[in-house]
Amino acid sequence: MFDVLITGGRIVDGTGATARHGNVAIRGGRIAAVGDVTGEAARTIDAAGKVVAPGFIDPHTHFDVQLLWDGAARPALEHGLTTIVPGNCSLSLAPLKAADRSRVVGMFQQIEEMPPEAFTEAFEWCWEDFAGYREAVARHLSINVAPLVGHSVIRLWVMGEAAQQRAATSDEIAAMQDLLRACLDAGAVGLSTSFVDIDENGRPVPSRFAQFAELDALCAVLGEWGGRMLQCVPEFYAVDLTIARIDQLAELSLRHGIPTTFSPLFDSTQAPDNAPRAIARVEEQFARGARVWPQMQTRPIDISFSLLRPSLFFARLPRWVRVLRQPLEARLASLTDPETVERMVADLGPDGGERMMGGLVVRGGDAAPQAYVGRTLSEIARERSQLPARALIDISLENGLDVAFLSGAQGHESTERIGPMLAHPLMHIGASDGGAHIASFATYGDTGYLFSEFVRKAGALTLEEAVRKITSETADIWGLKDRGRLQPGKAADVVVFDDRTIGRGEERAVFDLPGEGMRYVRDAVGIDAVLVNGEVAWAGGRYADARSGVFCN
Amino acid sequence: MRDEAVIVGAEIAAGHDGAAELLVTLRYPNGGRAQVAIDAEAGFALMRNCGVSDLSGLEGQPWRRMLEGAETCSTS
Repeated sequence: MFDVLITGGRIVDGTGATARHGNVAIRGGRIAAVGDVTGEAARTIDAAGKVVAPGFIDPHTHFDVQLLWDGAARPALEHGLTTIVPGNCSLSLAPLKAADRSRVVGMFQQIEEMPPEAFTEAFEWCWEDFAGYREAVARHLSINVAPLVGHSVIRLWVMGEAAQQRAATSDEIAAMQDLLRACLDAGAVGLSTSFVDIDENGRPVPSRFAQFAELDALCAVLGEWGGRMLQCVPEFYAVDLTIARIDQLAELSLRHGIPTTFSPLFDSTQAPDNAPRAIARVEEQFARGARVWPQMQTRPIDISFSLLRPSLFFARLPRWVRVLRQPLEARLASLTDPETVERMVADLGPDGGERMMGGLVVRGGDAAPQAYVGRTLSEIARERSQLPARALIDISLENGLDVAFLSGAQGHESTERIGPMLAHPLMHIGASDGGAHIASFATYGDTGYLFSEFVRKAGALTLEEAVRKITSETADIWGLKDRGRLQPGKAADVVVFDDRTIGRGEERAVFDLPGEGMRYVRDAVGIDAVLVNGEVAWAGGRYADARSGVFCN
Repeated sequence: MRDEAVIVGAEIAAGHDGAAELLVTLRYPNGGRAQVAIDAEAGFALMRNCGVSDLSGLEGQPWRRMLEGAETCSTS
């Protein structure tokens, strides 16, 4: 008697092997049999015409806070993700002394954009050490968690305020090593660090004050623990610095026998040599025996802005720059001065901004009239009998300037260029940033977009290869031996999806955070069912009551 | 040719955090080129430091003008 029998699907087992028809049997949270298997089961899932694959793994998320009240990391799970890695970019919620909470909350808010209520109303702070955080989260998990511990919080625990002021002494480095050992012992899968991030006051986060000797000493501990992961955010805004970090990560990998990964790596048609140069350096370092996995996201990058804050979107329009860079009161005075506005609109040329602004989309989640949300400025301007530039200004003024406009796919947007990069044998598909930047854009649905854009539309990867990249390959890179394959004995993390329709829904604003905070999300498309450790966690468009997620060691 | 790097171009680019950034191209005295992306705060600071309100006015400016505000690059 099986617990679950998934019947009649096309099995894509995560290894890259060709899809084959068959059944998947589950017992006791584990895959019991795959293929020509029959028998009685407590629950049968009809997967005829659908793909049955291992649950997807997301190696770069910031769900650290959300997991305390939402064990499914919604909507990540419904997109087929069964394992997530939080704690990236040097920041985790443990180890963290009570006295340092407000400091770290500020850093998290800078990255995640969570409202303050998320840290004060949604859960009770009942831990300081890593084991305590694990216990607090594990109570209601629906999704599996493979957490990193953040270098910045380790530094803060040992050095206090000095963590954001100076290099560490040898005694402090030794204390950090001991603390890291305790975190790994309590379930951390590795360490994250950052050379880029800032806190809410614009100051570098603690990890950026570390000298190489400190990072080297911490990586020695990762080596002691059998070769745990080091995740790093390099100076991604300058490719030469990124390449220097690739070399540094390679030295750490070789010296301590550890895997390393860095993110993000973007492609840019404006700087077309950058990503290929970084990939070439990664190839050189792998040839030396180092493991330096670049992470690349699948989704393109949009630009969004409102007139509440000056945006470089207008940087080619001097008059707009001068007006919008003014303090709010003066800005409003200029935007309500007919002569100034007439000149601003005239600056766009005879089309009144149709070419530059017509394609902008009103986003929602702010003061924008609901009737405008999701529509282009060109369409709205016609309806208002206005030129697009004039409509942008007037709609903003009518709503206290609190109207966000989106210019879609302005970066990392060339499918022809990015497809082969994602298919590259050394490219780690990830960097979704799930749970971060939540009030700026949706970080969900990247796996659906992988299939819709790069498998179905572009043919850059086969179905089997795309599944392999986000299941067994990710599990192997991170040492998650129990995950990523539909094989007898493995954990029964399974996703059933329609490969003809899998994708991502339109971005939309929701107010489902503590304090009715707003975030942008995307719904899953083409996903039928998601099982976590053998229990149905999502099916038929609904979340189940399953609490079968675990901490992965 | 000057004996320090100069700005030879600047383009509007999409930043990791969904905001518009400036992709600034520098040319070094030895002829080498490099690009660096800076966020809105640093970008407006650069334009202010150079006394320009148009991207084309940045061309030929010394790279040192970028230093002010350089710490405020995008978060990951």
